[in-house]
Amino acid sequence: MDKTQRDELIRLIASPAAGSKIAAAKDFGIDLTLLVRRLELTPTERLQELAAAQAFVQKLRAAKKTPAHE
Amino acid sequence: MVIGGVAASAHGSAHLTYDLDICYDRARDNIERLAKALGPYHPRLRGVPDDLPFCFDATTIARGMNFTLTTDVGDIDMFGEVVGIGGYKDVKALSITEVLFGDDCAVLSLEGLIRSKRAAARPKDLLILPEIEALRAIETQVKRQSGPIEVRNEDRVKDKQSEHEPGNNL
Repeated sequence: MDKTQRDELIRLIASPAAGSKIAAAKDFGIDLTLLVRRLELTPTERLQELAAAQAFVQKLRAAKKTPAHE
Repeated sequence: MVIGGVAASAHGSAHLTYDLDICYDRARDNIERLAKALGPYHPRLRGVPDDLPFCFDATTIARGMNFTLTTDVGDIDMFGEVVGIGGYKDVKALSITEVLFGDDCAVLSLEGLIRSKRAAARPKDLLILPEIEALRAIETQVKRQSGPIEVRNEDRVKDKQSEHEPGNNL
């Protein structure tokens, strides 16, 4: 994404038009700043990030099951 | 083709998903290719007793429609039909081609994802819908102002011979 598009994207999420789907997502609690970063990635990079997030959650779940050591 | 949460992620969604949803062509020859492609990963039904007999082959796929599976490489849900859209050809009409890991891959478009999520309308679908609709709105508005959102080019894998059979309709 070039600078013009990035600036436009940031403007859209910072001040979404009232009644727009972007405003609705913001009101719903979606963190639109995450979308800015994700849209700068290639589709493959987005899926690689998804895989990394999944692995992170799996580690957290495994750690939860492991008794803490003194 | 890739549908569901992974498709949404490919479009930029930050939503976390743990399985791969695909829509497959139910033509007999494709079902046979699908059974052969996934067979080495020992697909078995997810969420059923371990001793429930299940044979993942072309006959089983042809007799069913949608399958919720776990495999050696992860959970895969196979859909012969997608709620709100239809069968493979209908889903394909709403798909785009993305380069994923060096290969051209059919991925359900944001429009298709919105239709399927609205039709399914489960709580989990309604949870992701605002984000997908925002992504589509962003795509439309940025395109209107300055053209389609450009992503960096990815190199396609030149030699695909060993890993994929040509013409797999996934």
